[in-house]
Amino acid sequence: MSGCGLFLRSAAAARLGRALVAFTASRRPLRTSPPSQAFAKELFLGKIEKKEVFPFPEVSQDELNEINQFVGPVEKFFTEEVDSQKIDREGKIPNETLEKLKSLGLFGMQVPEEYGGLGLSNTMYARLGEIISLDCSIAVTLAAHQAIGLKGIILAGSEEQKARYLPKLASGEHVAAFCLTEPASGSDAASIRTRATLSEDKKHYVLNGSKVWITNGGLASVFTVFAKTEVVDSNGSVKDKVTAFIVERDFGGITSGKPEDKLGIRGSNTCEVHFENTRVPVENVLGEVGGGFKVAMNILNSGRFSMGSAVAGMLKKLIEMTAEYACTRKQFNRNLSEFGLIQEKFALMAQKAYVMESMAYLTAGMLDQPGFPDCSIEAAMVKVFSSEAAWQCVSEALQVLGGSGYMRDYPYERILRDSRILLIFEGTNEILRMYIALTGLQHAGRILTARVKQLKQGNVTTIMETVSRRVRDSLGRTVDLGLTGKLGAVHPSMEDSAHKLEQNVHYFSRTVETLLLRFGKTIVEEQLVLKRVANILINLYGMTAVLSRASRSMRVGLQNHDHEVLLANIFCTEAYYQNLFALSQLDKSDLRREERGTPRNSEHWHPTPTVLTRLSPPAEGMMKWLLQQILQKISMN
Amino acid sequence: MRLLRLREVKAFFQGHAASHQLGWNWIPRLSLSPKGLKILAASLSCCGCPTGKGMSWAQAILLARGLSRGWGGICSTALTGAPFSQVMPQAPRGLHCSTAAHNPDSPLVPRPPEPQRGLVKALAPHEELFRQAPDGVQDKASFVQAVQNFTQYNVHKRGHVDFIYLALRKMREYGVERDLAIYNLLLDIFPKEVFRPRNIFHSIFLHYPRQQECGIAVLEQMENHGVMPNKETEFLLTQIFGRKSYPMLKFVRMKLWFTRFKNINPFPVPRDLPQDPVDLARLALRHMEPDLSARVTVYQMPLSKDSTDATDPTEPHIVGIQSPDQQAALAHHDPARPIFVEGPFSLWLRDKCVYYHILRADLLPPEEREVEEIPEEWNLYYPMQLDLAYGRSSWDDYEFNIDEVEEGPVFAICMAGAHDQATLAKWIQGLQETNPTLARIPVVFRLSASSGELLASSSGLEETPLTPPEGREEEENNQQRQQQSQS
Repeated sequence: MSGCGLFLRSAAAARLGRALVAFTASRRPLRTSPPSQAFAKELFLGKIEKKEVFPFPEVSQDELNEINQFVGPVEKFFTEEVDSQKIDREGKIPNETLEKLKSLGLFGMQVPEEYGGLGLSNTMYARLGEIISLDCSIAVTLAAHQAIGLKGIILAGSEEQKARYLPKLASGEHVAAFCLTEPASGSDAASIRTRATLSEDKKHYVLNGSKVWITNGGLASVFTVFAKTEVVDSNGSVKDKVTAFIVERDFGGITSGKPEDKLGIRGSNTCEVHFENTRVPVENVLGEVGGGFKVAMNILNSGRFSMGSAVAGMLKKLIEMTAEYACTRKQFNRNLSEFGLIQEKFALMAQKAYVMESMAYLTAGMLDQPGFPDCSIEAAMVKVFSSEAAWQCVSEALQVLGGSGYMRDYPYERILRDSRILLIFEGTNEILRMYIALTGLQHAGRILTARVKQLKQGNVTTIMETVSRRVRDSLGRTVDLGLTGKLGAVHPSMEDSAHKLEQNVHYFSRTVETLLLRFGKTIVEEQLVLKRVANILINLYGMTAVLSRASRSMRVGLQNHDHEVLLANIFCTEAYYQNLFALSQLDKSDLRREERGTPRNSEHWHPTPTVLTRLSPPAEGMMKWLLQQILQKISMN
Repeated sequence: MRLLRLREVKAFFQGHAASHQLGWNWIPRLSLSPKGLKILAASLSCCGCPTGKGMSWAQAILLARGLSRGWGGICSTALTGAPFSQVMPQAPRGLHCSTAAHNPDSPLVPRPPEPQRGLVKALAPHEELFRQAPDGVQDKASFVQAVQNFTQYNVHKRGHVDFIYLALRKMREYGVERDLAIYNLLLDIFPKEVFRPRNIFHSIFLHYPRQQECGIAVLEQMENHGVMPNKETEFLLTQIFGRKSYPMLKFVRMKLWFTRFKNINPFPVPRDLPQDPVDLARLALRHMEPDLSARVTVYQMPLSKDSTDATDPTEPHIVGIQSPDQQAALAHHDPARPIFVEGPFSLWLRDKCVYYHILRADLLPPEEREVEEIPEEWNLYYPMQLDLAYGRSSWDDYEFNIDEVEEGPVFAICMAGAHDQATLAKWIQGLQETNPTLARIPVVFRLSASSGELLASSSGLEETPLTPPEGREEEENNQQRQQQSQS
């Protein structure tokens, strides 16, 4: 084990140069505008930024070896030593398990090596997440510690703060917690009641207030706390602004409530944390005084992408267990796995797991690129897709298992309970959909403003251009964004799917333009429109991710690449029709009234086929074939 | 027939428009105002085609005349004697029309006393049946006993129509006006099979009109009290009048419309309203206030609880309601702008009319309105506003909603036993305790004269006017007082 650790250190040292460059960059004040055009935002304009996503991001061979050596022991530990059922029953992670996690270095996965962490890249962090998520309580505890708890120090902390806190946090000697939520304040920063007042000697802030639902609240000794402080404006007026603080438990006046009794992730510690006249030195202000809002936003935005791979890891394990049951249980002299309805469920699970894995690793790869690309939309999309797919798949798996899925003696119902939280924490999926849609629309709006203005003013040439383009669209112009063809990025076996993606992207951008033209800035209030925009974008991103990944597998010649192509094609077909449906809904002039009633099955403006919610026959045929393949494969293992 | 159906519905709604506007209080007392009642009856008479085989217009007119004559008869005896003129002004003046008919100047409010007095005298023969209760207890049992006495001692059922009319009037005294069994019992008095039409001419021309009208009157009173007829009623009616008769038609229509109107009111009013004026005011205020977090405060209890005269002029009750949002709005009100106490406005709760006052301000002129600013750092997760130069154009605004018409904020509502300025000033004083800013804001009393007040007019067969004469006097006093205060 220690040898492995040594190896890691030395390998890490080799990468130090690159890492240093990255960290000097990270020390800049928090960025507000993206330095490079992100992929998802460009989709709103009808462009596919090929160089961002094609080919699928590769991991260097060194890195791969390193991670593989590291993954082995962790996996062994999780499968052999962690008793998830016991953790769930007792509502507590045993101390020896926590100690082992610390000794494996899992408390400092993304802490830079210079501060004693593992300094893993995002891709490697995602890979480890797959294994850690075999026990959701542990995964949540670790995520609360490093994805949000200490992330503030990495992102916004000064040199001194990093040197002071990170080493102990990375080793797990100290556990971190993120204290933002209050009884009256969820996502509403204005209603934060916790207050920090500067003491008379101006050396301390006195912190008062209470926070609720703090993961690790009872274990943590370092808290990232957000509180209101009085800040003098440039024009002399005093305003209340949010400031982030690093608070140690030793500062005094900190009490934690009793652990909450939760539906799932029962092993993780969640409780209230009260601050009563806690004296925080001014050096412990994280970022600037009054700049806590941006710190919080950045922490939240950066922590999301890893959920995709974590859920995929959990799902793969679940599929394995369920398949074992389906292939052994006999009814009417046939295995469950021979029944079409059961096979369909496996296809669904395999497809969802494949898509979320692709999305997660694509995002991780994009984040690992130099130049700190702003991938917060992509990360949010991964979170939304993976959490919802997880809930759906776990539910389907329980269906396959029948009665034993419902019994507490088996692990399945625990997985169901655990996976419900995924849709809620780290920003509920509803709120993230708003974020996805609005951020993209803001970007598109800036570009389109000039054009739209001209249209509104009645500029003849612009109107003519728009009209003629509409006419051409309606005449069935084939959309070609250059994904296929002789030197295309997508493998010819997925040409159809690539065309579907292109067509969706094209019409999506048209719809976005129409929506912006129609609603302008009041689109913020049109939440039903925004939800559909977000759904389409998530589908588009998923399609891109699977096309890119399956193309790579084909070209590299990976084992079972034909399955990947099938999965990709199936997903693209489904997503394509879902998108068409959503687009036709968006195009309705009275969307809201429509929403309250039942949707009418009326014509839509696309030259493409009518809206189908089911798969077209060839895809179903493909699916059946695929199912057999998957089941055979799984049952042979 | 289709057209006539529509007319029927229209007439129905017309008749209830008044109470409809006053807060949905007309269900299930389908026929609240006398006008509606008559229009309904007339439309019933002119649009009904009991044979269902089609009927010429002339026949319909003929029938209508026949029925209107019949109705005139009822009106002159049992009903209130109000006219049909609003319904069929062009109908030829028939010989049999009652003298009260076709008087365009007649008031909408019925004039109950005179005809009823005559009626009571005329029906005196059966009156003694209802006085036979041994200990003077008036309940269901004694009512049933009276009816049974009639059928027992009157084997030939002589005078049964008069008796049924009398019984209908007595029902309220005995508290059985909502009892379906009693209505069926009354219908059971009719001799069976006698009044059934035997040939087509019987069914075209009103067969035994007086008996049919009496049957309709029973159903009418059921309708007024929201009693749904059942299978037994249907069986009795077919036995007495046959399928092709007007009571049966009325029955079918009740079956049709009652189910449709039963739950039409989205803000249901309890069937039995509280008698105590304070409780009633509480209920009415809750009924009007959409905010669930609003608090009802009793600022003043009536002086003597025991006295039935709740509108004691010296210490009338004052009950008010105010929601936290309204309190906040009042706190932010600019003290330089006056606020107004306005009223009284009427609110109907079933058959009761209550009056309320509001405390309101004028809408700020557009240039002084503060635009609600979205704070910069508000939402941790997504942008609350987009940085775009343009908004939604006006042609795309389909948001118009009668609920959102801007007419100035309302800060509080109150109901008081008296509508004069002195009483309402006490309310304002009470409000100042929870709204300190109110002390600095000039309050103007804009109390309308009785224009907003409707006399509680009721149209039931035996109902007495709900507003006691003292109330009228008091209102006159109020008017005088208001005039004094205005001058």
